[in-house]
Amino acid sequence: MKKMYLLLFTITCAVNAVPKIDELLENIDKRYSMANDVKANVKITQQKTGQGAKKFEMIYYRRDATNSFLIVMTDPAVEKGNGYLRVDDNFWMYRRNTRTFQHINRDESIGGSDARGDDFESRKLMEMYSPAKDSSGKELIIEDTLGQIKVYKFEIKAKVNDVDYPKKIYWVRRDNNLILKEESYALSGTLMQTSYFLKYAEIKKAMVPVKQLFIDEFEKGNKSVLEISGISTEKLDNTIFTKAYLESLSK
Amino acid sequence: MNVVVKIGLRNLLRQKRRSVLLGIAIAFGTAILIMAHGFAHGISDNLFNRIVVYVSGHVGVVFSENGNLFKQIFHDGQRVKEIVKKEIPDVVKIEEGIGIFCRAIGNGKSDNVVMIGIDLSQLGDEKTQQQDADNFKMTEGSFEDLSNESIENPVILAKEKAAYLNVKKGDIIRVRYRNVTGQDQAARLTVVGTFLPANMFMSAPVFLELTDLKRLLGYGPNDIGQLFITIKNPKKDAVLYAEKLQEALRPEPARIDGYISAGKGSVPVTVFGYKTDTLSVAALNNKLSATGKKAGKSECFIGDSLSSVLGIAPGSNVALSYRLKYADSIVSSQIKITSLTQKGVLPGNVILLNDEDFYKIFYSNWPAAVKDNPKWHRLSESDPLKEIVAAEWTLFPRAKSTEELAKLQKEIARKKIRGTSVDVRTMYESASSVLSLEYALHMITLVAVLVLFFIILIGVVNTLRMTVKERTREIGTVRAIGMQKSDVQLSFILETFFLTLFSSLAGTVAAFLAMKGLSMFKIDAEGNPIGMMLVNERLYFVPVFTSVVFFICLIMVIAVGTAFFPAKKAANLSAAEALRHFD
Repeated sequence: MKKMYLLLFTITCAVNAVPKIDELLENIDKRYSMANDVKANVKITQQKTGQGAKKFEMIYYRRDATNSFLIVMTDPAVEKGNGYLRVDDNFWMYRRNTRTFQHINRDESIGGSDARGDDFESRKLMEMYSPAKDSSGKELIIEDTLGQIKVYKFEIKAKVNDVDYPKKIYWVRRDNNLILKEESYALSGTLMQTSYFLKYAEIKKAMVPVKQLFIDEFEKGNKSVLEISGISTEKLDNTIFTKAYLESLSK
Repeated sequence: MNVVVKIGLRNLLRQKRRSVLLGIAIAFGTAILIMAHGFAHGISDNLFNRIVVYVSGHVGVVFSENGNLFKQIFHDGQRVKEIVKKEIPDVVKIEEGIGIFCRAIGNGKSDNVVMIGIDLSQLGDEKTQQQDADNFKMTEGSFEDLSNESIENPVILAKEKAAYLNVKKGDIIRVRYRNVTGQDQAARLTVVGTFLPANMFMSAPVFLELTDLKRLLGYGPNDIGQLFITIKNPKKDAVLYAEKLQEALRPEPARIDGYISAGKGSVPVTVFGYKTDTLSVAALNNKLSATGKKAGKSECFIGDSLSSVLGIAPGSNVALSYRLKYADSIVSSQIKITSLTQKGVLPGNVILLNDEDFYKIFYSNWPAAVKDNPKWHRLSESDPLKEIVAAEWTLFPRAKSTEELAKLQKEIARKKIRGTSVDVRTMYESASSVLSLEYALHMITLVAVLVLFFIILIGVVNTLRMTVKERTREIGTVRAIGMQKSDVQLSFILETFFLTLFSSLAGTVAAFLAMKGLSMFKIDAEGNPIGMMLVNERLYFVPVFTSVVFFICLIMVIAVGTAFFPAKKAANLSAAEALRHFD
């Protein structure tokens, strides 16, 4: 009988055991990865203390196979026609007024918004982060609830230098591993940003967060809402990821 | 001779009003000339010693890693500093120019600021120390507290900036910035003092000790930022020293001499990085014939003999351990072997790693230089690997002008150069706009003063002509009683000489009094470019003794030269005709 209880206890523990963080990261990467080309409309509404709301709209083209993306600004009027083209290691900014391309860094602001070039990259969490552990070597993951939703809350730390934040805490749904909330911390331990993933859409079996809220925890009162619409996974023309295409939009 | 001098002096006093008026004109011209020169030289001094020194240094060595112009870091800092000290014997100061834009939040107010590091260990000469003291006239707190280790990140800032952020001594400013690896970071800065900015460039930044800033930005103990070098005679030596530095900073092929451990054991190897630009990869493909696939941008090659010694195949991870340059310890890094070369293509003790991965290892822990030892491979002049092996850094050719420098920077960004790019520049390229402004001000001053003097000299000529005419009969008399032509001419010249001498001396005194007076007025030029010409919100004059003497001599030579012809005309008058002259 004792053996029976022991077996039941072991099975219960195994069923309720929290997964390894690496497994969750891998699942998240899989759920978010899109093998196809992507085209989408992106809208960023940015609110800053004392400045009111600003709206930025752009068309976003992405092709992971060649590590390329193209952003064409459509709003505000002053930015309309300007663009950002990334092909492999090269990242250019295009200015419609002067019809010139300029090499920029991946951390450059996009169209004057708080979004940066590297926010549009498709790097995998597994490549950038590893599980954070406590002093006993145990992974920092617990079962938690976010509102009414059962989630895993876990902490990861950067394993490469070129990431925005060296430490992140995630709340992901236990049932389908979708990210619901993310906290980003500076090396000093200061909470810099909280992101809420408000709405997802399933596109060709991949989950795309179509509405996200970013709250600036450093400068209180600043926040941004990112909305993605008109997602298409049709194969894009090869000419789109070229300088000539951006120039042709100005004609 | 004494008689002629007396006549010259006496004649000055004969028409007192005329002499006084002409003297005032000359004195005024002299005063303006000295003041204009003092002002232009003050601007020059201000630009060279208070602005250019901090903006670019007289000579600068600038680094950028992986084509990112904002990632100004070099990992073998001591070596570069030693080269600078060796090549520039009269160096006054070597400072690391490190600054970063950040968002600062004070007490309920926020603003964009620049954090700038001050190296308190670099005092420089007495003049430099005085300039530093002038630049930071503290209104609250103490400059020395910047190095107080018991305070969390002590900073000082301009009084106005502190007022805008609503902070005072002892308050905390929180800042958000991106560190040298591009990560978002936050820090708390403690205000230890406020100062009156000496010029407009001092108003915006917050200043903190260089070591504090480097720690916040993620610099390692042997990392340095761009170097601003102050020298004793920048106008004369800046270019010369830059050329010497350029020559001394030529890089060697980068290599890591260490031991590789895998499978069957551990063997000594030299790891080289191969350049991954298109031309170099093509050259590599010509030289190496990798089994299975051609060289790409992310390969790691190992020779077949080394492969068989270690018992490893493509896909194997190996551990590379090597001794550090700046610590008496050994570090280990993982390398993934991707390709084997055919027999004899690579020496048995060489691993060839793509430059991106190579530099990551090389720069994160700079390897110690191992003296010649047959265990490790050395590249001879004729070594086929030499043209494809990556250097310790990429040294760019010297830009000869601002335009060339701008092109160079574009090229660094465009080519996405792996590793660190190094370029040596002088203030003539990096601060040319400031220097052009100085030149323009000098020219404007010179032209204005020349116009003024032209007008005054017309007055001198006119006065002398009148004098000669008035004294025609007197000339006839002195010529009739035996005075020589040359003495007559000399008496007129001496009259002008004394007039000019006394007037210009008076003008010099007036100029110094005026400069003293003008520099006492406070000018509020906040946000106005004119603030660049001010020091401590006041006009800044730097008259130079030799220049003042030169100007007085010049004025006298011009005045005497102008008087020469009317005086000669007077001397050449015939005594009889002069006596008959009647107005």
